[in-house]
Amino acid sequence: MNKALLKIDKIYLTRNDIPIISDFSLDIFSSTVTNIYGRNGSGKTSLLKILVGITEPSSGSIINNAQVSDEKNITYVGHKYAIKSNLTVSENLQYESIMNKNKQATINNMITKFHMDEYKNYLTKYLSHGQQKKVSLIRASISDAKIWVIDEPYSALDKEAISMLDNCIIEHLKHDGVVIMTNHEAIDNKNFKVSNIKIDDE
Amino acid sequence: MMNNFIKNVNKEFLIASRSGLEILMPIMYLFIIMIFFNISISYVQRDIVLELLPLMIWISCLLICVLNLETIFKDDYEDGTLDMFVVNDKYLELDIIAKVLSHWILSNLPVVIIAPLLCIVLGLDAGTSYVLFITLLVGTPTMSLVGSIAAALTISLKKNKILISIIVLPMYIPILIFGTSAVNNSFFNINYQSEIIMMAMIFLIFLIVAPVACSRAIKISLD
Repeated sequence: MNKALLKIDKIYLTRNDIPIISDFSLDIFSSTVTNIYGRNGSGKTSLLKILVGITEPSSGSIINNAQVSDEKNITYVGHKYAIKSNLTVSENLQYESIMNKNKQATINNMITKFHMDEYKNYLTKYLSHGQQKKVSLIRASISDAKIWVIDEPYSALDKEAISMLDNCIIEHLKHDGVVIMTNHEAIDNKNFKVSNIKIDDE
Repeated sequence: MMNNFIKNVNKEFLIASRSGLEILMPIMYLFIIMIFFNISISYVQRDIVLELLPLMIWISCLLICVLNLETIFKDDYEDGTLDMFVVNDKYLELDIIAKVLSHWILSNLPVVIIAPLLCIVLGLDAGTSYVLFITLLVGTPTMSLVGSIAAALTISLKKNKILISIIVLPMYIPILIFGTSAVNNSFFNINYQSEIIMMAMIFLIFLIVAPVACSRAIKISLD
């Protein structure tokens, strides 16, 4: 097998002397979807934050082989959507990356795919929770990053948007991409192969 | 890299232009302080007032600067943009300089421009007003840079205003001393260049130190 794109090695995380994640190791290869699941408070979000480098683990290491020069090649959609409430949908997306013609076309394409065309020029503060989540997902999918880290991608989305997101993930997998997501339960009803990993403190 | 910097500054300006009259708030503060100050000292001799005036303006600018420090990173922390800065931390320091620069232009530069004009209107000579302008122009960005460290350290706290003021207070004293002494020297026609050079030195030091300290502080606060 080829080299792991992301190598998580013996991660430990403690908060106020309470162990949250203990001895978690995982190798992630290209063109795979990894679903990390567990009950509330089992440390799913903390694990993702460690993966993208927001939180530092108490011990252990993460080796990112997807790293090209100084670019981390990771995009992250968390519980906070990182969109500005006083900017419109398209402005929010445009400020996400250096613009050129190609990028603009991609953005428009994605907006249409997610059926956000009529809201394109709305300030995001007037959008619903689910629509804001869609903007955040579009933001992740237009980046050139190889690794997508998405926290609970299917929450707050309707059926249509979920199938749309699945299509995006399949497209991303074709380009040797990697998707790491968290959910409350194992996923096995998708059109792509998902490796389910249970995280638990016992 | 430079594109990214310009993009960030541009974004801040667009957001500010959407938030209405908020941009006038610092100028309003300055006017309020100056009006109250002038009313309360209207019994004092005219030449003493003129001597105090630029110093009062300097202090009001400093206070206005402290008051709006917490807004540097607040919104970005709450909506998660700061997380994104850290995730793609190609040049986190540069992102921080862009944030501080746009914050300074939007909330301090109007005061820096209005304050000397206000001085001239109130009867101060043009020379001293000019020195006041120069010292503010060098001093306020230093204060923003120093303040950004304090703001970054306290973003995860709900009510961080008092803590920011306490952290920032001792570090503002040298800037205040050099700034007011330059203005005062100019009022009495004494040489004031050395003070301004000292202030420029302090600015350069913090231009290098603050982004590094800030990026470390942000990582700690997000942890």
